[in-house]
Amino acid sequence: MKKVLSLLSMLVLTPSASLLLAEPAPAAPAASSSPLIEQAEAARKEADALGYEWRDTAKILDSAREALQRGDQAESDKLASKALFQARAGKAQGLYMAKNWKMMIPKN
Amino acid sequence: MKKTIQRGLFTGALVLMTAMTAKPANAAVNYQALVDADVKKFQGFFRKEFPDVKLEDFGNGVYALDEDARKQWKEMEEFPPYELDVEAGKALFNKPFANGKSLASCFPNGGAVRGMYPYFDEKRKEVVTLEMAINECRVANGEKPYAWKKGDIARVSAYIASISRGQKVDVKVKSKAAYDAYMKGKEMFYAKRGQLNMSCSGCHMEYAGRHLRAEIMSPALGHTTHFPVFRSKWGEIGTLHRRYAGCNENIGAKPFPAQSKEYRDLEFFQTVMSNGLKYNGPASRK
Repeated sequence: MKKVLSLLSMLVLTPSASLLLAEPAPAAPAASSSPLIEQAEAARKEADALGYEWRDTAKILDSAREALQRGDQAESDKLASKALFQARAGKAQGLYMAKNWKMMIPKN
Repeated sequence: MKKTIQRGLFTGALVLMTAMTAKPANAAVNYQALVDADVKKFQGFFRKEFPDVKLEDFGNGVYALDEDARKQWKEMEEFPPYELDVEAGKALFNKPFANGKSLASCFPNGGAVRGMYPYFDEKRKEVVTLEMAINECRVANGEKPYAWKKGDIARVSAYIASISRGQKVDVKVKSKAAYDAYMKGKEMFYAKRGQLNMSCSGCHMEYAGRHLRAEIMSPALGHTTHFPVFRSKWGEIGTLHRRYAGCNENIGAKPFPAQSKEYRDLEFFQTVMSNGLKYNGPASRK
């Protein structure tokens, strides 16, 4: 009976032990970009082409990429949204100023 | 018959009047006159805002507007913090390149050329600044260019400015291409940008002489006459384009590279606006 029990326990434990000793399956590489980051990056380039990119937009986008790489999707999306807003605002500012900058000349 | 003659006379008179009033298609535009009108308005703005300040004094920036700040600055200028930089700049200016020539070989008048820059190069179709000419001289003689914002470029520029003091600002805008560059600089000066939605003119025209936190805003008139400057904030000497980049950073805009077309056009416009003043660099600033 004792022999039967030890044989059975070996049968049960061996696969578990092999599971424990086996090398872990390679983790999926962390994503470095998301659709929101791509969208913000495209908008940033448009603002830059007009000469109206804001100071922090690219830095915020870098932080969004870093957050994504450490697996913090929520933080990444939050930062990418902020960058997207800045990029769109910079572009809108550039388009407006191209047409209306003369209105900014102070009157004597 | 009478009616036909009357109609003919009327049509003839109309054609004559049209011919007399219409501008010929190829009439030459006097760009300098357009620019001179702008200078008059621009300088008039500051004369009206600060009726007690002499035109010449605007080259001293905020120290032309605030008596207390002027006293402190005058004391600082007794032992100018840029003095050693001017000496170093002189040595660099005369130091032979590997080919035996030197910066002195590139500039006439012993290097007292501050008053010649910036100018619009009609062949290259672009604004050439003093710092650009310094580095182009080095590259043409097989040397590496200096970094643009500070260090040796500012030292050489300071030396050239120091031996050019008193030269009159008199920048010409003679062609359409030059006028286009001028207008680009003008747009850069007046357009609001960055997260704070501010412009050069917002701070240095409309707010000139007023406080922004602890600082008094300097007048834009005379901005370009006294560079390079030794800024206490920097703890060293730096170029005008370094200052431009700092201003853009302050208002939350991505700065352009030093000596980019954008900043050269801005320097061109700003210097034209100071036509009639005298170069008085280098200088010290807070």
